[in-house]
Amino acid sequence: MLKDITLGQYFPGSTVVHRLDPRTKILLVVIYIAALFTANSAAGYLIAFFCLAGAIALSKIRLSVMLKGLKPLIFIILLTSILNLLYGTGEVLAEFWIFRITDGGVRNAVFMALRIIMLVMGTFMLTYTTSPIMLTYGLELLMSPLKKLKVPVHELAMMMSMALRLIPTLIEETDKIMSAQKARGAEFDTGNLIEKARAMLPILVPLFLSAFRRADELATAMEARCYHGGDGRTRLNVLRLAARDYTALTLGVLVLAGIIVLKRFGI
Amino acid sequence: MEPILRTENLTHVYSPGTPFELTAVRNASIDIYKGEILGVIGHTGSGKSTLIQHLNALVKPTSGRVLLDGRDIFESKKSIREARSRVGLVFQYPEYQLFEETVRKDISFGPRNMKLSEEEIERRVLEAAHFAGVEEELLDRSPFELSGGQKRRVAIAGVIAMMPEVLVLDEPMAGLDPEGCRSIMENILSYHDSTGAAIVIVTHSMEEAARHADRMVVLDHGSVAMDASPEEVFSRGPELRAMGLATPVMTDVAEKLRKLGVRLPGTVYTVEQMTAALMALERGRSRA
Repeated sequence: MLKDITLGQYFPGSTVVHRLDPRTKILLVVIYIAALFTANSAAGYLIAFFCLAGAIALSKIRLSVMLKGLKPLIFIILLTSILNLLYGTGEVLAEFWIFRITDGGVRNAVFMALRIIMLVMGTFMLTYTTSPIMLTYGLELLMSPLKKLKVPVHELAMMMSMALRLIPTLIEETDKIMSAQKARGAEFDTGNLIEKARAMLPILVPLFLSAFRRADELATAMEARCYHGGDGRTRLNVLRLAARDYTALTLGVLVLAGIIVLKRFGI
Repeated sequence: MEPILRTENLTHVYSPGTPFELTAVRNASIDIYKGEILGVIGHTGSGKSTLIQHLNALVKPTSGRVLLDGRDIFESKKSIREARSRVGLVFQYPEYQLFEETVRKDISFGPRNMKLSEEEIERRVLEAAHFAGVEEELLDRSPFELSGGQKRRVAIAGVIAMMPEVLVLDEPMAGLDPEGCRSIMENILSYHDSTGAAIVIVTHSMEEAARHADRMVVLDHGSVAMDASPEEVFSRGPELRAMGLATPVMTDVAEKLRKLGVRLPGTVYTVEQMTAALMALERGRSRA
């Protein structure tokens, strides 16, 4: 059950997509999201779709893995689509009771569903192909200009990387505790809402305790190795942008520009 | 004799179809008989923990079956429930699963889930506490103010309180001092002796397995490499070492003594046997 959560999971590999600089990938995702929200025509979506499909093909991440990640979002996607379907304007296609389905509504519903699916898959591409350490390092570098404004960039990045690092550990821990309580006859999927909530207690209490214990141990271990924040800290592997990064970024900017132009001319 | 619990060609694959695919258990067929003490050994990552989680239906096999009294435990919701109460599973570091306000409440969690009467629950809590070596005056304390060893006992009592016919323990002695190990083992044995329950102890400590097991199953890379009496398993020292397992110290000593020409009688893998063997040797010499 819990092991199906793929959020923030990294699939190691050595494809071009994996080797791109994390900064490039983060910027590309931002550009991609901007493009998705700009696009309002079939042509625009098609371009974005081809970019996504190309990236997935290059990264050699299986489509089934990508689709599995979408599973928890099916409800949200359906809900937004249905709401959009019912609240559109334009030519009436069907009518029943107080609902009225219009061609505008159908269009909005389809585009909205596509937008969410492609948005999520695009961000998956980032987390699936970038290790959490690289991801936070990239973010830290991108945010480093904010240091001038006294924003604790290094500390934020460190907190983020530790949080990311602990997600799989905590999931594993939850799994273990659930198994242990199940072995004592606990059931988590029966009874009404209150009973179900009460059944969570045997999981939550040990989980919180272990999270605090882990945090405490980690802090001690870091202090024991003289960690004292980001001042004067250097990296073993320093990131440098390569030719492929410039190519990828140029392509990204071109695609975004193309979609803006398309919108401008209403194609 | 019919085994009480049996696994049939059990295979378990984690994350099939992803880069993380891993076959943790491969085609394992193991029988567990009433009243026996079975030692399951294997080095880290040999599939021990995955294997035992199948025994009470916590994990579904990718292929193969688990039979309790000859019936598939995954047959229905009811059979899964039955397996959970008849096969008790104590996880590694079980003290981390304690959650109740008092020791008494925590131990009664299992019996309460079995929907037993209040009197029966109370009786079982006392009995389980006794078996696991939890003093009665601790019952109304919070489990979180106990020492590590005491917590471990409370957690074991929580499983014993379900009165399982098969008690499976995953590394029950991990991280305890020698005295704690010895006394917890004694407690487990006392449960075995007075209820006739089958005990399955998962360990990587050959000494422990040697001392108590009637039979041993050795796992290597998810497959059953050996399933035999301790004598036989320990007579295959080189194979064990090839799997990254150590033989008991006394086996090594006996091997070296024999190489030096000392004619030790019988198989020797515990200190007691070594003492007996040396005494026998000495007696033979003084007679001659």
